Amino acid sequence: MENVRIEKINLNSSQRLKVESFLSTFNLFLDKDVEYTIVAKKDEEIVGTCSYFGKILKCFAVKEGIQGEGIASKLITHITNKLFDEGIYETFIFTKPKNKYIFKGIHYHEVYATDEVVLLEGGMASIEKFIQNMFKKSKLGNEKKAALVMNCNPFTLGHRYIIEKASKENDKVVVFIVEENRSLFPFHVRMDLTKKGIEDLKNVKILPGGNYIISSATFPSYFIREADERLKAYTKLDAGIFSKFIAPIFHIQRRYVGTEPYCNVTNEYNQTLHEVLPKEGIEVIEVDRIGRNDKAISASFVRELIKAENWEEMRKLLPNSTYEFLKSNDAKEIIQKIKRSDSPH
Amino acid sequence: MNIKTPAKAGTMESNDIYVMVKPNDEGGIVIDLESIVMKQFGKQIEKVILNTLKDLGIDNIYVMAKDRGALDCTIQARIETAVKRGM
Repeated sequence: MENVRIEKINLNSSQRLKVESFLSTFNLFLDKDVEYTIVAKKDEEIVGTCSYFGKILKCFAVKEGIQGEGIASKLITHITNKLFDEGIYETFIFTKPKNKYIFKGIHYHEVYATDEVVLLEGGMASIEKFIQNMFKKSKLGNEKKAALVMNCNPFTLGHRYIIEKASKENDKVVVFIVEENRSLFPFHVRMDLTKKGIEDLKNVKILPGGNYIISSATFPSYFIREADERLKAYTKLDAGIFSKFIAPIFHIQRRYVGTEPYCNVTNEYNQTLHEVLPKEGIEVIEVDRIGRNDKAISASFVRELIKAENWEEMRKLLPNSTYEFLKSNDAKEIIQKIKRSDSPH
Repeated sequence: MNIKTPAKAGTMESNDIYVMVKPNDEGGIVIDLESIVMKQFGKQIEKVILNTLKDLGIDNIYVMAKDRGALDCTIQARIETAVKRGM
């Protein structure tokens, strides 16, 4: 194995094509969003590759026939070191169940598995410690709670309505804000506007979602090509992690979700929650969204209004705190980004 | 003595050990060890790690070690390197 070396790939050069063609022999492709890619070369031939996006290792493959010769561990060591130097000490891999043993051999742990996908964690990551620590830091007690998971991109009166309903119907409510920064409004802004928007609801606690509330935007697409199948796999994984780890540690007995008339992703997601959570003794309560003129208030609709600079309509859909923020100087950059963007997130 | 920043040493290759260390806010020495030879040598590896830390005068540290069959001298060297990098 002396003649195997690791090389960094310049993703903006023709080297990229070589990685893509190598991956295509495994029926994989190079995800659009990868930040950093390396290959293992034996003489001049590519025999393995690995990439990452944020904390997530992606697009990993080792040439058949020479698997088990230590190429995987070389690739993973290199990537882990690189991430470590960037201050990222916890790493994650999504893979097909049949491939999980490759990673278990180099000390990756299974977080959760469905029929379609397994989430593994490595480095210093440990889901139980992480969620325990989240719970400890939240200073919440052991009383029964209701929970919501939201992106709040940005916080609207629609969010307010659902949280308020949960707040009235339960002694204690926890709202987890999706932490991954794949949204147009940055995490700290989403968090801040949500806190301001529910300030008067004393039994509601807003918390960062952490590593294990995964957004559909980060769920990798490269190994499950079919969009419907991928969505199903993602929703099952997410619902599974919530009911197996987050709910028991936080003593969550109910989960509130909003109905979503326009978004297929949310619909599918809600359906999966209905299938998975009750089996673990968690009640799922679907709340009809409040609407204006027959159109449900949604954050995506608000982003359309921002694009169109329709302030008058926005005023009716947003709490004062969000509206004031959008009018402020701090929001200028975000608004510019929204105007340029075609992203649904 | 304490370390100041997270640090690492080693590789995940066979016959080596990958060591990650960080300051332990709660105080004391905490060792999370994983090894392919846990049953046979888990206790011995932990002892080597602990003794190396003692020799270096470290009292507060979190160590995560992923062992793939490293010899005692390798373990000692990787721990020492990681600790010194974190100082």
